[in-house]
Amino acid sequence: MAKYAIEVENVKIRFNLANEKVDNLKEYAIKLMKHELMFQEFIALQDINLKIKKGESWGFVGVNGSGKSTLLKTISGILKPYEGTVKIHGRIAPLIELGAGIDPDLTARENIYLNGMVLGHSREFMEEHFDEIVEFSNLGKFLDSPVKNFSSGMKARLGFAVATVVNPDILVVDEVLEVGDMRFRRKCNERMQRMLSGGTTLLYVSHNIDSVRNLCQYAVWLDEGKIRMAGPSMEVCDAYAEEQEAEVRKKQEEKRERLRREGRKYDYLVVGAGLYGAVFARELTRRGKRCLVIDKRNHIGGNIYTEDVDGIQVHKYGAHIFHTSDKRIWRYVNRFAEFNHYINSPLAIYKDELYNMPFNMNTFSKLWGLKKPQEVQAKIAEQIADLHIEEPKNLEEQALSLVGRDVYEKLVKGYTEKQWGRDCKDLPAFIIRRLPLRFTYNNNYFNDLYQGIPCGGYTSMMERLLNNIDVMLETDFFEYRKEHSEMFDKVVYTGMIDEYFDYCYGHLEYRSVRFETERVEEANYQGNAVVNYTDREVPYTRVIEHKHFEPEAEQENPKDFSIISREYSMEWKPGIDPYYPVNDEKNNALYEKYRALAEQEENVIFGGRLASYKYYDMDKVIEAAINDAAKELNVWVQ
Amino acid sequence: MDLFKYRIKTLFKYLDLLKELVSRDLKLKYRRSFLGYVWSVLDPLLTMIVLTVVFTHLLGKKIENYPVYLLSGRMLYDFMKNSTNNAMKSVVGNAALLRKVYVPKYIFTLAKVTSCTVDMVLSLGALLIVMIVTKAQFHLTILLLPLIVLQLYIFCCGLGFLLAQLNVFFRDIQYIYSVILTAWMYFTPIIYQLDDRFPRWYQLLVKSINPMYYYVAQSRDIIYYGNIPGPRVFFGGWIIAFIMLVIGVWAFQRSKDKFILYI
Repeated sequence: MAKYAIEVENVKIRFNLANEKVDNLKEYAIKLMKHELMFQEFIALQDINLKIKKGESWGFVGVNGSGKSTLLKTISGILKPYEGTVKIHGRIAPLIELGAGIDPDLTARENIYLNGMVLGHSREFMEEHFDEIVEFSNLGKFLDSPVKNFSSGMKARLGFAVATVVNPDILVVDEVLEVGDMRFRRKCNERMQRMLSGGTTLLYVSHNIDSVRNLCQYAVWLDEGKIRMAGPSMEVCDAYAEEQEAEVRKKQEEKRERLRREGRKYDYLVVGAGLYGAVFARELTRRGKRCLVIDKRNHIGGNIYTEDVDGIQVHKYGAHIFHTSDKRIWRYVNRFAEFNHYINSPLAIYKDELYNMPFNMNTFSKLWGLKKPQEVQAKIAEQIADLHIEEPKNLEEQALSLVGRDVYEKLVKGYTEKQWGRDCKDLPAFIIRRLPLRFTYNNNYFNDLYQGIPCGGYTSMMERLLNNIDVMLETDFFEYRKEHSEMFDKVVYTGMIDEYFDYCYGHLEYRSVRFETERVEEANYQGNAVVNYTDREVPYTRVIEHKHFEPEAEQENPKDFSIISREYSMEWKPGIDPYYPVNDEKNNALYEKYRALAEQEENVIFGGRLASYKYYDMDKVIEAAINDAAKELNVWVQ
Repeated sequence: MDLFKYRIKTLFKYLDLLKELVSRDLKLKYRRSFLGYVWSVLDPLLTMIVLTVVFTHLLGKKIENYPVYLLSGRMLYDFMKNSTNNAMKSVVGNAALLRKVYVPKYIFTLAKVTSCTVDMVLSLGALLIVMIVTKAQFHLTILLLPLIVLQLYIFCCGLGFLLAQLNVFFRDIQYIYSVILTAWMYFTPIIYQLDDRFPRWYQLLVKSINPMYYYVAQSRDIIYYGNIPGPRVFFGGWIIAFIMLVIGVWAFQRSKDKFILYI
């Protein structure tokens, strides 16, 4: 037996065609007279060398017209090479495409026979295997209806069932299986896998890169009739997909560039390239609106921006962990990024003691050496009862009445005081409504169904969200509006609402944080992404070690240094980055006044954390942006 | 010799396909028609009646038992016309299939000619009915009919290959050929008798260069006149059939690898 199933050597396919197909006499005569019958040769394939061993599976990828099908046809013997040789050892079964080999007027039964015989089977053979084919194609009920009434999926089923009835030495599949339903595709895949393990050689053409990845060990990337790359399918597919994406991006870029040059007006000016603005712009663009996104900062992403520092994604504006229980939102973000399975389980350090967060059995057993939940519950109840607090007058009393003295002193007090910059006794009780206590040994900070961090950082997710949308960075809205008010119809404003109205009722207040980011020459600085420091003597509230947000990246590419950020809580003053709105009575009342103004404002939509003066989790921001965009466009959102 | 053996082997391998294609053509021809295969008989019968009514008046009573005279010639001409017409479209018509899978292309041409042959055999029923109704005499020579059909079958295969091949490259051939067919019918003594009313040169021309004349003349001989066909038309018929076959096969083989680029 020959070692190779298919040997293709130096194959060249030349189509000796004139510019157009000349297939009638008139054209022929005219061209002849005009001396235009110079055959323009078209090289469909060139320098093709392939050696395919028995039992291998090869996928063929490439853009339309790159010669994939031509190559398969040459291997199948339908086309004869102009130069070079094709040697085939074994019997080829092409998976006949819809419509071909299937006569629409004949019934399924008749077609099975006809199709089988086209493939070179004898009538006897087909009779023997008839039942098997019918069973696989699942068309028993429709055996005697004409195939023209079949759906494309049913035709594909018929074709596949006939082609694979016998284990051919070489199976050629040319973009056929994309039409069937899921169940049938799975069935086909199983059958192909079985044939592969049975020694069949598979040649597979598909535009669906993923199916090539799944099914084929090797792949060939054809480009303008030449082999651009051949090898393990993962590598070839990745390279091909990358170039495809780059090309698409380039084209979109060119188009945007052209529109920009022509000075075309935008439908919407989105102020702020943060999560709300990006999602809003994405949703509008998707429905055919033209958006310009501007941002004061020199990067997109707002506060979820991550910066690549020597291969570590640094959360520039504090730790962001995506979590949601809304399946719709989870699916939405997964369209723009792949999420890892990071689970937030912070640690707390009080003096030289280390505790698990959130407050759970691990924390309590460390505190008191207790093991059973009942004991812990009793201990806390006892501590609370000892204090005799009926009506909490300040935050300290509030917290004490919720968690008792030990937890409060070691894990709540210092941290909260650093956060707010004043004594707990001076803070209003309402800041802490509840302090959840967990009586299980579960260190997962969030209770949500889905949780993770985009692989490669938030910035690349934001880039994908803003793909195909014009973005201008380092552009101040108020200045831009002064000069280019004719460039847009409507504004989506995600900045500070008081700033929009020129602080006419005074400033809304925020809490802010400051980061001291530092590179340390240690592979692992603190062993966890987030460590809170709960005693008041340590000036920072927490330390973030960024590499631990992406353990998979670290595993793939270990680094002997680390990037850490110390987070300091600070008073907010106009001019520095605002973080947390101070939703006390005074500020909320002030916000209401601004909101009344905002409602008067025509053609401006206010949204996002700063314009709504509200603490927003990321999933809630996305949800709000999707809903607001839908409302704006008057479309129904499910 | 090896190549020849290989060809025969391939043909043998695809014999079932040939049969299936022929039966498909026959099945589809009358599928969903009320009378089905009866049309194979009815169609020539009705045409014959029309022509008889028209031409008996036009030509007077000169030809004895005109219906039988007409049918014995027209039957063969119709067979030739249908089979070559279908054969011409056989390669182009199966383009979708040929582009996907390797099948010897001549199978389709062969299948068309063969299915038309079966159709013609069915239409012999019309002749039988007419002969019984007109009380025509049955001659033993009618048993030679299969030989003549075989000659014509070979001829039609040859012509079919040629046309199928031409049609791939020049679709105009379809229109040209339909004109040729009309002319050919009048050039062949089917509705008239090639007697002395025609100038001598015309008679000679028909008898020498019109292949159909050989087959129609033979068929007239054995059915209508009850004669053994003369050696000139008999052997001439065989020779012409094979010459046509050789031309057809040669033309087809020469360019079959290029078909795929044009269909």
